[in-house]
Amino acid sequence: MAKFLGLNRLTKLFQIIQECGGLKQTYLKLYRNDDLKIGTLVGIDKYGNKYFENPFYFYGRNRWVEFTPHVNMDYDGSQIPADWYGWMHYKTDLPPIRDGSRPKYKWLADHSENLSGTKEAYMPYTTTPPKVEAWDPSAKKQ
Amino acid sequence: MIRAPLVKALSALGSPTHQIASRAVRTSAIVAQTPAKAPEKIEVFVDDIPVQVLPGTTVLQAAALVGVEIPRFCYHERLAVAGNCRMCLVEVEKSPKPVAACAMPVMKGWRIKTNSDLTRKAREGVMEFLLMNHPLDCPICDQGGECDLQDQAMAFGSDRSRFTDIHYTGKRAVEDKDIGPLVKTIMTRCIHCTRCVRFASEIAGVDDLGTTGRGNDMQIGTYVEKLFLTELSGNVIDLCPVGALTNKPYSFVARPWEIRKVSSIDVLDAVGSNIVVSTRTNEVLRILPRENEDVNEEWLADKSRFACDGLKRQRLIAPMVRMPNGELQAVEWEGALIAVAKALKKANGQVAGVAGQLADVEAMVALKDLINRLEGETVVTEQGFIKGSGTDVRANYLLNSTIAGLEEADAVLLVGTNPRYEAPLVNTRLRKAYVHNELQIASIGPKVDLSYEHDNLGSDPALIKDVCSGSHAFSKVLEGAKKPAIIIGADLLEREDGAAIHATIVEYCQKLKKPEWNPFNVLQNNAAQVGAYDVGYQAGADRAIKAQPKVLFLLNADAGKVTREQLPKDCFVVYIGSHGDNGASIADAVLPGAAYTEKQAIYVNTEGRPQQTLPGVSPPGMAREDWKILRAISEVVGTPLPYDTLDELRSRLEDISPHLTRLGELEPAGFNETGAQAAISKSISGVAIDVKQKELKDYFMTDAISRASPTMAKCISAVNKQQRQDEQSKQSVAI
Amino acid sequence: MLRSAILSKTVPKCLQIATQNSNALSVVPGFFVRQQQTLPVVDPSQTLEKKGYSPFGTKQASVAEWSLARLDDLLNWGRKGSIWPLTFGLACCAVEMMHIAAPRYDMDRYGVVFRASPRQADVIIVAGTLTNKMAPALRKVYDQMPEPRWVISMGSCANGGGYYHYSYSVVRGCDRIIPVDIYVPGCPPTAEALMYGVLQLQKKVKRMKTLQMWYRK
Repeated sequence: MAKFLGLNRLTKLFQIIQECGGLKQTYLKLYRNDDLKIGTLVGIDKYGNKYFENPFYFYGRNRWVEFTPHVNMDYDGSQIPADWYGWMHYKTDLPPIRDGSRPKYKWLADHSENLSGTKEAYMPYTTTPPKVEAWDPSAKKQ
Repeated sequence: MIRAPLVKALSALGSPTHQIASRAVRTSAIVAQTPAKAPEKIEVFVDDIPVQVLPGTTVLQAAALVGVEIPRFCYHERLAVAGNCRMCLVEVEKSPKPVAACAMPVMKGWRIKTNSDLTRKAREGVMEFLLMNHPLDCPICDQGGECDLQDQAMAFGSDRSRFTDIHYTGKRAVEDKDIGPLVKTIMTRCIHCTRCVRFASEIAGVDDLGTTGRGNDMQIGTYVEKLFLTELSGNVIDLCPVGALTNKPYSFVARPWEIRKVSSIDVLDAVGSNIVVSTRTNEVLRILPRENEDVNEEWLADKSRFACDGLKRQRLIAPMVRMPNGELQAVEWEGALIAVAKALKKANGQVAGVAGQLADVEAMVALKDLINRLEGETVVTEQGFIKGSGTDVRANYLLNSTIAGLEEADAVLLVGTNPRYEAPLVNTRLRKAYVHNELQIASIGPKVDLSYEHDNLGSDPALIKDVCSGSHAFSKVLEGAKKPAIIIGADLLEREDGAAIHATIVEYCQKLKKPEWNPFNVLQNNAAQVGAYDVGYQAGADRAIKAQPKVLFLLNADAGKVTREQLPKDCFVVYIGSHGDNGASIADAVLPGAAYTEKQAIYVNTEGRPQQTLPGVSPPGMAREDWKILRAISEVVGTPLPYDTLDELRSRLEDISPHLTRLGELEPAGFNETGAQAAISKSISGVAIDVKQKELKDYFMTDAISRASPTMAKCISAVNKQQRQDEQSKQSVAI
Repeated sequence: MLRSAILSKTVPKCLQIATQNSNALSVVPGFFVRQQQTLPVVDPSQTLEKKGYSPFGTKQASVAEWSLARLDDLLNWGRKGSIWPLTFGLACCAVEMMHIAAPRYDMDRYGVVFRASPRQADVIIVAGTLTNKMAPALRKVYDQMPEPRWVISMGSCANGGGYYHYSYSVVRGCDRIIPVDIYVPGCPPTAEALMYGVLQLQKKVKRMKTLQMWYRK
């Protein structure tokens, strides 16, 4: 009966609001993430992204990330570092913090996000030779 | 015509009797060709259309008169009839067999059927035979798309194959030959039309090509392994109806349907050959000749055809200014123009201009106007001419007999020129006259191979006086000739005694003159030369050096006649041109101009015919058309030239000299104009007469474009290699 | 897709350094460090400054500029929330493009709704091989779109000819015909990649300075 009336959903909503810590926090979360979900915190990476999981939601929506707060609205899928990428994309069920077999080399560099649209954006260089060979005044005359 | 090789063979034996004999053979050949009496026309019917033709007309020509084209491979209008491809078989009524139209003269009342069942069947059969031994490699063949065999197989061949030899047991295959860096051979594709053989022996005058073997084993080749090296070798590519001879630098580059074609003018020699520039994606791919009976017929010299890859190398693509450390550095246009303008303002009228061999008339006029506005007066061409005011009279520097006219000449004296390399297509005219018109040729200058027989009188300049005074044996020939001509090389007139030579010959030519025929000719070797004289340039870079200018403009001047040492220390040299060469390397400011395939510009050829180039591609990088650069400089200096568009500039040209804008039309020099030089002393010095281009290897690199061309460099090394081989084989024979 | 881009940038740089100074090889750790901006590592002891919403910041020189920046923010917010693409499905990429409209990726939640007319569209998604024959049509359709308009080039073929680069009948990249804003690599790109491309376009729209540029003029 409760299910029929949708009361269980209301319960869920209240639960979420409770977990978020009040109506205002809930609103802010909804504003930032366009979504309201509760789940277990699986881990936090060194950039401050929080990874959650809740098998209550169907496959594909049961793992999600809350990006580190300082990026505010400028979050982007490419901010997920390589080690969490596999877990987020269901390549593995073992998150990096629980996976002991992952190598931890000293030379592993920090992750960088997609820099398109910034000054550091990737620009391809041309691979075709120029059609016209320019005269080089410093070259010796043959 | 077909006897020409025979004549050569006879004369090659060398004894005087043989020479007489050969002349007799030639005379009889001509007599046999010319109808004895007023020709009586005979009537024949081509596909039931009646047509009146002269006796001796072939079936193929008669059909052409009524607009019926008979397919052919071996027949070519400008070559002797060979009649060996059999593609032109047509049915003639009451004739038991089909006849070869190209070789069969018509008879009175013949009814020729060019589209009957028998004709069609004959063609189909011939086509089947040709295709049986022709490889099916059209997809990888460079001729694909412009192949006569392809087209005619579509039009006249069978729609299905009877060829069953799928294991290729009997298909003919021939080894490819290396005949040089310009022509690529795939001899399996050859259908033995022998057009190339006939071209080499008749037009180019080198009997290098020939056939060996017979039947299925027949091959076109050079008999012994050697390179086919002549200044006209590229024409066999156009003549070859299949893909057996193709353009080596152009191989596997493009298909004909991808190309854009622009009709233009060649500027690498003074002939002004008409060309078609093939371009794709803003790149010049190849250059082909365009038919113009008055200039180049349908031939093109190798330098003009193959030097186009020089347009992509050593180019100036950005303005450059010499920095205080002595290095040229690329700058923006603004900076370069301001640098030039500053120098011009400082110069205070001490400005001079030198136009080189590739300068176009528009740019030269703009340069002259600019310099005159800046109160400078010295505008000269890099190439010299006679001292004094020789360029005032137009007939003094033109090839007055005209290029086509030389075909009718019957006695020619060459003075200090080697037309074979200075103007190969003038030489083909002379050779044509030699073969068909009993032209007698003598030359004063070093002994060179002109591809036809001629008397070398020696290189002593005193001979000029001898001939012109009528005491030399050749004077009798000239005086007895109906259309005599004396051709002087432009380089000869650059000498100190050039004026004397010029005056002596001019005076003699007054004597030789016939109505409607001016025997006095100067063979220029730069495309810019005649145009420069026409717009009032003076000749000789030494005049500019003598003026000791503060600012010197070099307009395409790359011959290296102006050097830094000759100029004052503070002279600011501005180079405007397309290639980084001698001119740019001494310049203080380099302004990148357009090459001849990149601008619409007028050039006047050696006979005085103005023709225009059209842009096929855009100038590379920041390069601009030359006259626009000069216009921009004038704006920055503060005396803007009064023309903003090409049309306005052209009307300025018209003011200077109205003939310059009558493109393609020959403006003959006034008939009695030559020789206003009475005051000149006629003492000719004793220095032997020389020509610059003596051998083939001197021919390939003569200007900034051809010097930048890798193909031309390959040609020179090929010639050198061939020379070494020849010497070696001579030595081994001697041992 | 990001990775390849990042790596290919660094490799020639490394080689360049290597050729310049062969001694650099002895200092391997410093030598192979990527010369690129990385994400800041979060330190629990001190919090990083939060980025503001506006890509223009709030420190404009004058009040007028500040208010125009805010107006731009508002305008961009409106624009990026309803990017209507014009379908230009040309090949297999089009199938992936359909997927982003389907419930799993559900582009409607970003206000991205396919339109059938160029006159109602903001962005054209060129999905697939652009042939020579199609090129004039593409240009015509693009010309019919109202300003402001954007282009997403989807897949290798639209980006640069891709597999058909050497074909006689294919345009080597649709950027030869129309100006492209977002290139989505892949052959074909997954629907997810295209979605990411749309989000990148949203970011780009967010940076538009319509009014500020007008004011500056």
